Amino acid sequence: MTQTQVQSSPRMSTPVDAAIELLDISKSIDERAILRSVTATIPSGQFVTILGANGTGKSTLLKILSTLIPPSSGELRLFGQTATATSVDLRRRIALIGHQSMLYRDLSARENLELFAKLYGVANPTARAQQMLNVIGLSARSSDPVRNFSRGMIQRVAIARALVHNPDLLLADEPFAGLDAPSIDALEHLLAQLHEAGKTIVLVNHDIEQSLRIAEHAIVLRGGRVVVDQPTHRLYEREILSEVR
Amino acid sequence: MCRQCKQTLAWLITTMLFFAIAIALVAGYVPTEATMGPIQKIFYLHLPVAIATFVACLICFAASVGYALQRDMKWDRLASAAARVSVVFCSVVLLTGMIWGKSAWGQWWTWSPRLTFSLVLWLLYVVYVMVRASVESPQRRAIIAAVYGIIAFLDVPLVYLSVRLMPDIHPASVELAGSMKLTLIAWFGPVFMLMFGLIALRFRIDQRAAELEKVESEPITAPGQMTWAGGAGSAL
Amino acid sequence: MNAVLTLIAKDLRIEARNRQTLGLVMVLGILIITVLGLGLGTQNNVNGFSATAVLWVAYLFSGVLCFEKTMAVERNDAVLSALLMAPIDRGVIYLAKLLGNLVLILAVAAVVTPAGVLFFGFDLSAAPITFAGVMALSILGFAAIGTLFAAMVSSSRLQGGLLAMMIFPITLPLVLVSTQLMMRTFRDGLPVSAASVGVLVAFDLIFLTVSWLVFEWVLEP
Repeated sequence: MTQTQVQSSPRMSTPVDAAIELLDISKSIDERAILRSVTATIPSGQFVTILGANGTGKSTLLKILSTLIPPSSGELRLFGQTATATSVDLRRRIALIGHQSMLYRDLSARENLELFAKLYGVANPTARAQQMLNVIGLSARSSDPVRNFSRGMIQRVAIARALVHNPDLLLADEPFAGLDAPSIDALEHLLAQLHEAGKTIVLVNHDIEQSLRIAEHAIVLRGGRVVVDQPTHRLYEREILSEVR
Repeated sequence: MCRQCKQTLAWLITTMLFFAIAIALVAGYVPTEATMGPIQKIFYLHLPVAIATFVACLICFAASVGYALQRDMKWDRLASAAARVSVVFCSVVLLTGMIWGKSAWGQWWTWSPRLTFSLVLWLLYVVYVMVRASVESPQRRAIIAAVYGIIAFLDVPLVYLSVRLMPDIHPASVELAGSMKLTLIAWFGPVFMLMFGLIALRFRIDQRAAELEKVESEPITAPGQMTWAGGAGSAL
Repeated sequence: MNAVLTLIAKDLRIEARNRQTLGLVMVLGILIITVLGLGLGTQNNVNGFSATAVLWVAYLFSGVLCFEKTMAVERNDAVLSALLMAPIDRGVIYLAKLLGNLVLILAVAAVVTPAGVLFFGFDLSAAPITFAGVMALSILGFAAIGTLFAAMVSSSRLQGGLLAMMIFPITLPLVLVSTQLMMRTFRDGLPVSAASVGVLVAFDLIFLTVSWLVFEWVLEP
């Protein structure tokens, strides 16, 4: 299988509807190169999955996309603007879910949602929190501290937290980890719905078959570099496995 | 011999030479002070070392700011080297101060402003070294040490002001005769050469170690194809 | 700012919910006072005005524990990352943590100080407002540094005791000045020296500003 890379020159005029542009991003941590010259463009509304063996920098790339950590070199552009740690306005439009819940375990689901709604400046946070609780079907348990919830329920609240401010870009780092089959199903369904609603989704996943099935585009990392950047309908799981070796 | 080794040797010999001169001045040239006796001569070591300590702390501060702003590990190594030298020199300040105190006022320790200040300074930078030892990740260690280094140095004038509020029964000013001034100046040379030289030495050692580590570290590889190479009769 | 209030409300609500930190810290403070009282106070060796130093020992150790625990809340479940992604300034997080810590420390002081006064027979009637003011200024500086250092230490897997080691030397000027001030006021009956208060105010201003500015450097997502 040939290795292809999107040729995107930073000097070309950027398409207005590119949600994410990675321009020659490199990242070194403790003098070790994690990402090398990663260049890619993710158009608005695309459902992209990032694949690769463990340690090839997938999570690091996602953290960079979420502006949590800066790249060592290169530029990240979100929605056409340069994104840095101080890009407060850009952060309003993105959300992150991971395998950790990112919730306050001593607070209830409702309190968590209201908190983040307020922090994001959502109009009428109380109503919005209730709305999200209805969407994820946890209205009945809304006053229990989150620490008492099962893994699947926690993940649902985490997703509600991420979506409470109606982001345009959802970043997901191994969100299926530790979920049971019905929860996996529900999450896949939700991601499909979000995709249909026009949101851009970047999914880091270890399950290659699942990713190829639910996403429309795949970026494969090996040794911190992009080795595959193709629509998923052109890829086979076997080939990806050989690429990530 | 490599160029750097020659430089180090030259520095070492020159410093020792200046120390020899300084010691000779103290032993033979300068008169013994009337009230205190020979122990007073430790003052000629104490004052230059105290000032050198402060300069080392200043270098640590500047390097900490440098790292915080530029995130270049060179600054981190400089800050680390300066802090360690500062601790060593501050120990000398404390010891010589205590010896002086014992000789002048009969007590090894008093809570006088100067001794207390030296003690707090020593503690501040000992903690700096220990904080560095407690963090494994080099990048994390660098920023934590930089922030602590900045805060510690900003604390120094505040410590100085606060110890001046303590009761001081030991007047600080000393009348220095001409020959005494000369001897004192003679000690500044070798002490400062030692301080700068030690910092540079430590810095170079750390720099070299880091370069070696970079060369040796492997690029990240995926597990690849794992094949079980067990033959007939191999135990599982 | 609204965000600061939201975050403080969150922290206080969590504290009210699990009641861990406040109780622990208060009990620790009283225990320290008791130990020192047993060791020093039974023979009336300690003069009343030295109670300030005893109180400081209690505040320092209780405070360190308090700062550790309030920062540990953010470490669970990577919730700090969620905060960092929110469209709020990092300095806002610092202010919220600082004010939350202040509330807790002052609550502890409100319990520990009477205990100390009781055990050591400290007579505050001469200048109670001076005492309260000086201690408040000192505790503010202590919390400013403690909040910053707790964030530095909390993000890494460092051994306990490191936070105490870092905070104590830096805050020695506060201890020094406040104990000297108390001695001058209560033992010698002298008026409060403006220079001493000036040192406290300078400490607070410098370290509040610096901590607020550098806070974002030390947060690890």
